[in-house]
Amino acid sequence: MGSIYKQLLLGSMAILLYTYATAQDGKADSTKKQNLQEVTVKKRRAATQISMLDPLKKELISQRELLKAACCNLSESFETTPSVDVAFTDAVTGYKQIQMLGLAGPYTLITRENIPDTRGLASITGLTFTPGTFIEGMQLSKGTGSVVNGYESVAGQINVEWRKPFEEKEEKLHLNLYQSSQGRSEGNVVYRNQINEHLSTNVFLHGKGFWVKQDMNGDGFLDQPLDRTFVGANRWFYFAPNGLEIQGGVKGAYSSNVGGQTNYERGGEQIIGKPWGFELNTERIEAWAKIGKMFKKPGTSMGLQLAGVYHNQDALYGNTNYSGVQRSMYANLIYQTILGNTNHIMKGGLSNLIDDYDETFRMTGYKRTEIVPGAFAEYSYTHSDKFNLVAGLRGDYHNIFGAFATPRLHVRYAPLKKSVFRASVGRAQRTANIFAENMGYMASNRSFMVLGDAGNPNPYGLNPEVAWNTGVNFTQKFTADYRDGAVSVDYYYTHFQNQVVVDVEEPRSVRFYNLNGVSFANALQVQADYELIHNLDLRLAYRWYDVKTTYGTALKERPLVATHRAFANIGYETRNKWKFDYTVQWISSKRLPMLHDHATNSFLAETYSPSFWQMNAQISKSWNEKLEVYVGGENLTNFMMHHPVLGAAHPYDNGFDASMAWGPIMGANYYVGLRYKLR
Amino acid sequence: MKQIIIFLTILFSAVGTWAQDGKDVVTKTYKVDGNCGMCKKRIEEAAFVKGVKRAEWDKEKHLLTVTYKPSKTDDDAILKSVAKAGHSSEKMEATEADYKKLPECCHYKTNTCND
Repeated sequence: MGSIYKQLLLGSMAILLYTYATAQDGKADSTKKQNLQEVTVKKRRAATQISMLDPLKKELISQRELLKAACCNLSESFETTPSVDVAFTDAVTGYKQIQMLGLAGPYTLITRENIPDTRGLASITGLTFTPGTFIEGMQLSKGTGSVVNGYESVAGQINVEWRKPFEEKEEKLHLNLYQSSQGRSEGNVVYRNQINEHLSTNVFLHGKGFWVKQDMNGDGFLDQPLDRTFVGANRWFYFAPNGLEIQGGVKGAYSSNVGGQTNYERGGEQIIGKPWGFELNTERIEAWAKIGKMFKKPGTSMGLQLAGVYHNQDALYGNTNYSGVQRSMYANLIYQTILGNTNHIMKGGLSNLIDDYDETFRMTGYKRTEIVPGAFAEYSYTHSDKFNLVAGLRGDYHNIFGAFATPRLHVRYAPLKKSVFRASVGRAQRTANIFAENMGYMASNRSFMVLGDAGNPNPYGLNPEVAWNTGVNFTQKFTADYRDGAVSVDYYYTHFQNQVVVDVEEPRSVRFYNLNGVSFANALQVQADYELIHNLDLRLAYRWYDVKTTYGTALKERPLVATHRAFANIGYETRNKWKFDYTVQWISSKRLPMLHDHATNSFLAETYSPSFWQMNAQISKSWNEKLEVYVGGENLTNFMMHHPVLGAAHPYDNGFDASMAWGPIMGANYYVGLRYKLR
Repeated sequence: MKQIIIFLTILFSAVGTWAQDGKDVVTKTYKVDGNCGMCKKRIEEAAFVKGVKRAEWDKEKHLLTVTYKPSKTDDDAILKSVAKAGHSSEKMEATEADYKKLPECCHYKTNTCND
């Protein structure tokens, strides 16, 4: 959240500043400088950078980094980022979930240009609706972020910047085509048009199909459902000469998946003797607007963010039906000014978040409306280049949970120009969407038991999740033999005051209840980056998680979380535009809870999954900045789970369970594609 | 785990071997014309001729700082390569033909930086 906060603030301010800078072209005042600084940081050479001046540690993930995973949506794009783990939610749906600081994806706030994006019901399915081709860059930060972006983020924030229509050196048209050996085809178009110096527009199109029935692990279930996905978006920017900026956009997404047993056909009857099938249809419409105004008084501006979302998903897992509709409205008004000089920046504002959910799970309806008006203030103090801090406080009133306060603090200390210490502490609160966030467990015959307090008006009768996150990190940049490098260490501790525990310790059920005991996550990461020889970048990273929750009465390691992960990436670029990229990683074993064995009708004792290696490689070549062709391979070790579906032969019996996906479901995948840029 | 430790050890010792100290090294700064982030990349790449250890162009000050081995190259060779890429310097003017090859936004004689 801290990251979000800062990003939101910075993002909106940067936009405001940009407007101002554009309007006042040539006037070399301090605001413009500040803006330039924001922009330059993003454009440096290394694929992922860590900012040095920001009180929040932000990993800036550039387009070049994103290209390392050639076809990618948001969840897949993190497969080459050590800070984020990506894993299948289950062995049937093909959906992938991210994990940061050892906490599941929904604990990370994902924003598009600082407006909250895939929240609520979309926390798993929504990530596929942001294709990598749309993205200009991302900023990833751990820990609670800025209070400006809300109170929700527990583990961190990922802010996604889309390609901008007004960046003159960007291509007018970008076309991307992709084909994989496993049967995935993808096409993306990004078009920008600068109509005049004030007005510009973008059009984004994405189509994806998975049209080959694949069962590489031979369990009779499709490894990946057949899929059709379309995403389209259009947005407009207007920069007025008087420092006013207006932007607005719409996005629509549709996807349809059919999977399950190989001979299942859409709409098939799901009873014993007939094939077990999975279907998921998702529709999502978003609209958003940002209005910013830069005032005459230096460093003073105002911004308003508005967003509306309609998300409708309808899923069928065998004879389990889950459908949900989410309607959300978001408004955030930010006012920024300086107190005396730019060393003291004050931000304040008002927000309102409305979420309306209507879900049906196994014939039971769950409806709720959350209305959360709030106010926030944030003070940033800069004392030379060496020390700065950001202290924020917000108060929100939740129509069901009542009033709550969200304090957050970020401190940065740089004893030397190349050494930075940072520390953060903050509170976060969120409502768990127990079904949407745990759709993976629906790919089983587990019974879902919602153990809230009877008669409690709370969503699902459960309390909100409340967590405190503290973190420290240290970044040291260095130059060895005239080439640059950086070493960084970060450590975060998340303590849950309340959590909605997802308990799968009993093999035939998933139980949801309020935490009764302790729950925490320790996360340590060490990373080294160095340009080993000219234009050859090396990255080594290691991360360690210790994530434990009280299940019933016992404190246990959270299942399906890998304690260790080691990572190495080498990227090389030649002068004649060949690019080589290679990633190898090792993922340690994960705890598997007690499971049901159909063959013997007995319980299998709690155990650990094997550890495994993963390798990805890609080669690309571009010609005169117009055409680029790429070929690559994923999961080159061809490692996969051979029995990812327990009780695969008897999908309607007790003990059928496809939710224990601890490793890849599919083997090696090879792909080829091209990018065409028209300037 | 053991495999990883060995792997890391090898990699880090490799870094150590490369990081030898250079006695035969000088660092010089020249004024080189250009305007944007795209120019920066082009100038630095062009300056990186054989014998150069590091090349960095300051976008604000229009100064190119190069570290190179005098036994292997000299400033003439470096700035000639930069001029060939279309960027004039205090010692070497880019030909009109090479300048024209630059993308429009990099025409530093007429355009100012906008990023």
